[in-house]
Amino acid sequence: METDILVIGGGPAGMSAAITADRAGARVILVDESFSLGGQLRQQTQHFAPLPGSEEKVRGTALGNDLIKKLEASKVKILKKHIMIGSYRNENIGVTDGEKTFAIQSQKNIIAPGAAEKAKIFPGWTIPGVMTAGAAQILINRERVLPGKNAVMLGSNDYSLEVARQLKACGVTIKAIVEDKEQMISSDMELLHDMKNVPVYLNSTIESATGKEELNKVVVKTPAGLYEMEADLICIANGFDPIIEPFEIMGCNLAYHKELGGWLPEYNVYFQTSNPSCYIAGNAAGITTIGPVLLTGEIAAIGALEELGFMEQEEAEAQRKELWKELAEIEKRENEKTFRARSELIEGFHQKIGMAFPEEFNMVNGGAHNG
Amino acid sequence: MDKSTIVCRCEEINIDEIETAIKNGAETFDDIKRLTRCGMGPCQSKTCFYPVNEIIAEYTGMPLNEVSLPRLRMPLKMVRMSTLAQDSEGSNVVSVFGESVEDGES
Amino acid sequence: MWYRYLVNQWKMVNHKMDNLFDVIVVGSGVIGSSVAYHLSESKKHEVLLIDKGFPLSGTSGSTQAWVWVHSKTPSWYGELSMLSAELYPFLEKKIGDVEYKRTGGIAPFFNEAERESALRLAEKQAEVGIEIEVLNREEVLEKEPSLSPEIAGATFSKIDGNVNPFRLVELYVKAARKNGVHCSFYNPVNDIEKSGDIFQVKTQKGSFRSKKIVLAGGPWSKELGKMLGMDMPVKQVRGQILVTEPLQPFLKYTIGGIRQADNGEVLIGYSKEEVGYDRRSTLDVMQQTARMAIDFIPALSKANIVRCFSGIRVMPEDGFPILDEVPGMEGAYVIAMHSGITLSPLIGTLMTELLTEGETSINLSRFSLERFNGIQSR
Repeated sequence: METDILVIGGGPAGMSAAITADRAGARVILVDESFSLGGQLRQQTQHFAPLPGSEEKVRGTALGNDLIKKLEASKVKILKKHIMIGSYRNENIGVTDGEKTFAIQSQKNIIAPGAAEKAKIFPGWTIPGVMTAGAAQILINRERVLPGKNAVMLGSNDYSLEVARQLKACGVTIKAIVEDKEQMISSDMELLHDMKNVPVYLNSTIESATGKEELNKVVVKTPAGLYEMEADLICIANGFDPIIEPFEIMGCNLAYHKELGGWLPEYNVYFQTSNPSCYIAGNAAGITTIGPVLLTGEIAAIGALEELGFMEQEEAEAQRKELWKELAEIEKRENEKTFRARSELIEGFHQKIGMAFPEEFNMVNGGAHNG
Repeated sequence: MDKSTIVCRCEEINIDEIETAIKNGAETFDDIKRLTRCGMGPCQSKTCFYPVNEIIAEYTGMPLNEVSLPRLRMPLKMVRMSTLAQDSEGSNVVSVFGESVEDGES
Repeated sequence: MWYRYLVNQWKMVNHKMDNLFDVIVVGSGVIGSSVAYHLSESKKHEVLLIDKGFPLSGTSGSTQAWVWVHSKTPSWYGELSMLSAELYPFLEKKIGDVEYKRTGGIAPFFNEAERESALRLAEKQAEVGIEIEVLNREEVLEKEPSLSPEIAGATFSKIDGNVNPFRLVELYVKAARKNGVHCSFYNPVNDIEKSGDIFQVKTQKGSFRSKKIVLAGGPWSKELGKMLGMDMPVKQVRGQILVTEPLQPFLKYTIGGIRQADNGEVLIGYSKEEVGYDRRSTLDVMQQTARMAIDFIPALSKANIVRCFSGIRVMPEDGFPILDEVPGMEGAYVIAMHSGITLSPLIGTLMTELLTEGETSINLSRFSLERFNGIQSR
């Protein structure tokens, strides 16, 4: 199988990249391991804003469906239920459909595998009833199954509170929010308001989670002593790691940036990694919100298109400038630290490879430091 | 935390076993993996990699960004032998009396 | 915390005030660790074992770890492998359970033409005491019913088996330490000098002196050899091995190319590539290996592959072991060989004899550097 641009991952970043690449006339193959596109948007019933070019709030699932429609109307060849499992000696990516394994020969790859939830260990974390917040969200929104009746949320970031809110709406009692920091991580007023009747234990950890076959008792260690509670569900919301495995396979250099989620590939202002044939997009390029996720997909696609001659340099620069400006605006507003870390990663990589900053990036980046 | 707390659920390796490996000089995830099988199971360290590196960092005082990553193994997802196997017209099995015999060793 | 850790690391090696050792072994793979352990048995020598990484981080941690004898040719090489395999049960009594299993080894062949070479092999090996049976299809399938009915026959010997390489190297090092060997890991050697009778080994963590040195660098033998001004006649060869999920025990024997480990995982590998020190796996070889697995054992087609690993082996240019004193440099020894897992008990023993008594129970002339033309030393 052969193509101009191969996109790995059919989440928001990958779909956005594929749509952008197709629009410019490139032949595109999009590979996704699931039987339906959308990635994490498939279970995200929460509303998102701001999105690129819009302040209007949109439900995650609706946004996903919108992107899928655009994609299905395009010439992009979509390979669902296909998984990237490795690479060949000549660097072609190898995928499998469960029946056979074959190479996809491409000029450029845009890799957008997303993020994984960070594990958190405590005595009893392996017993049934303990799961990540993301797993609980898939159960209620995709599988329509209640994961429990009485839940303890471990972690107090936005995502934890969002899932707690959704669980609550399904009739689950939120028994406690346990946070090992000295204050709540989330500062989202709306979410905090929704949780106002839930006991919050700060500077606290789960001492033990026990149950005969399934979880039924949770002991929380707080500065004031041990609290025991009956619960049949613990949701771990310990943040996200960028998924790096496909990049490691492609020989991309990695760097550690705590604010971006930990280890992730180095990339330049075009979202091109140290392997020139591989671009990166989405949460794999640093854990962020939906607006920047979509924009990174577009920027990566433009870089690939320009290099392959599907877009004139001038046009590419103009578009990239606008997209970066928007990315900077949204990300700085939503999470200044993330944008600063992203800028540091990019700057560091440019310095390392002796590559000059294009003008459009100097502008947004300068903004990050000054503002 | 209780030292018997499981860190790698695939191979059921606990904190104590990991700390023992570090005591014996292990400095990386892969050192610990080879001594304990931590991270060798079906998930291939995708779950336990951060917790293990946190234990290494805490125990040795090395900053997290200096604790090296586990070496990644293909395939990225578990795959059936028949799915992976190359199509072949007839067999391309090498003769055991050729070079092949020694290949399993080092 | 960090400070305390450094201090402990330092103390491990540097409590010897004069820093003078009888022997410094460079390389803590299966060969270096075995040499250090065997040297330590008499507890008469101050030994330092240095490694640029951690034991098992190189070749010895990425092997199928057969203890394989019967098809090793010429027969003197087969005999050497047999003598080493015979040492394993005794070694295990001394250093602990390394999961050595003398399963017997089956090397299948797929056409009748190969039966001739099988019979010749059996005849030749019999001369040195290696007992080989040449089996027909029915006999093979009776022994190992999972093998493909497509095979024409196989050679079989009781002497072959396998070992857990992780346990083996770990226990060599543990036993050596118990006998007083000093270890310095994560410590690359930068240079080696000799002044008078004393070697000066300059490492990242300081300088150490010794009366004798043994270089057992495996795939890094060339770099180490250069420090002594010699060009080691070795190549680097990559081998890729597939590992299945744990399966019910169903393979009784070690098969040429395939074995089942104690935990049920099946290891499959037969590749050889000269690509320098590149430990990546490639789908090209993985797909060929998977095909081989199914051709050998059809039932494996349903097994899941969990991982593939690659190891870079050292291969002397003519394929046979090197164990010799460096010409023109008394007290400096080099060891390099393929099949280090099979040979390590014997090589450790022989090197210890050579270092402590100056003579060995087996004539080492076949392992000399002289057989390669143009080996120069300074």
